[in-house]
Amino acid sequence: MLETDHSKPIYIQIAEWLENEILEGSLSADEKVYSQYQLAEIFNVNPATAGKGLTLLLEKEIVYKKRGLGMFVSSNGHEKLLAERTESILQNQITNLLEEAKRLQIDYPQLLKLIEKAYKQQGGNI
Amino acid sequence: MMTIIECKNVTKSYRSKTIFNELNFTIKENSLTGIIGRNGVGKTTLMKMIAGFVQESSGSFEVFSERPFNSLKVSSNSIFVDDLMPFPQSMTMNDILNECRRFYFRWDHDLALRLMNYFSLHPQLKIRVLSKGKRSTFNAIIGISSRSPLTIFDEPTTGMDAVVRKDFYRALLKDYIAHPRTILLSSHHVEEIEHLLEDVLLIDNHKVLFHDSITALQETFLHITGKEQLILKHISREDIIATKETGPYVILTVKNQLTDDTLEAMRKDNIRISPISANEAYVALTQRTKGGIDDVFK
Repeated sequence: MLETDHSKPIYIQIAEWLENEILEGSLSADEKVYSQYQLAEIFNVNPATAGKGLTLLLEKEIVYKKRGLGMFVSSNGHEKLLAERTESILQNQITNLLEEAKRLQIDYPQLLKLIEKAYKQQGGNI
Repeated sequence: MMTIIECKNVTKSYRSKTIFNELNFTIKENSLTGIIGRNGVGKTTLMKMIAGFVQESSGSFEVFSERPFNSLKVSSNSIFVDDLMPFPQSMTMNDILNECRRFYFRWDHDLALRLMNYFSLHPQLKIRVLSKGKRSTFNAIIGISSRSPLTIFDEPTTGMDAVVRKDFYRALLKDYIAHPRTILLSSHHVEEIEHLLEDVLLIDNHKVLFHDSITALQETFLHITGKEQLILKHISREDIIATKETGPYVILTVKNQLTDDTLEAMRKDNIRISPISANEAYVALTQRTKGGIDDVFK
């Protein structure tokens, strides 16, 4: 679950793991999220570190806090994550792809053809 | 948050040798802090002063609001675990556990017996027959089962094999989650304990070099990988803490103080920027100006 080279701070890895759980539907809207103590057990880390991961999601309003009850997935948490990932991660990968294409001297129409081909190979219709 | 340990301007010297010079820090209640530092910086001396085993030369120490030296309050609320815990050699482990049960007011005897069973320690054996690793395991079991409000482990895993070490740290974490208390843990294997820690107290050159969360330690530095000439277009040589050459590329350790613009410009130039592990950050902070071991062979 955790990266073995552990160069990425653990609390960020925990936040990302929770985000994936929400994206994949393992945790749905208004469902209770693991407590910092449960996360500490699962990831074998200090509860304070696990708590930082939860705080990250709280700040992004992907989860909300109910006093005395814990953290719950926000009703629009899933959408928020989808939008954020599309924005940042996909955008990032597109930038990388364009830079790589430039390095390999592949022009835009050629690149589009390659994408179409890969898309069809995965069973997609254009 | 309550303070359990307060250390103000503490100086410690043995004869003419200075161990600590004006040490200042506080440890909050129910936190798990790693005491780290290179060999011989005084980790053990510091922890023994906190436990009241050793006197400070000047300055003031307060543990549970009392000076720890000769304090019954400190002694009944704390435990100091290392590989040399001086138990009478003729006692069996069972005898020792029963004595602990009488002394430590939060002692969990059932937990102690379950851990003894798990680690295959036979209570009827006398402690003098134990191997180094088994002896450390036994001491560690006492440390965990005592549930002392202040639990101090000085290099607790000496002699333990890799599997036992892992199990011990897991047991410590689980019991800490279930029964929060203030724990100090020293080790020079930072990579082995970093996941367990909330805070790090890093001792170097007679002083506290760093005292903050483990996350903050990790985020003090960054790794930058790429062609050296290219990297030096973006940052100056003074920013570089450490350099490692790998083929045509260098991996530089730099302070995490670069602006977003600089980072972005470097990424555009195909320079890889990555986080650094807490252990690498520790090594970078305590690096000697003498250079690395490679320089000895030049």
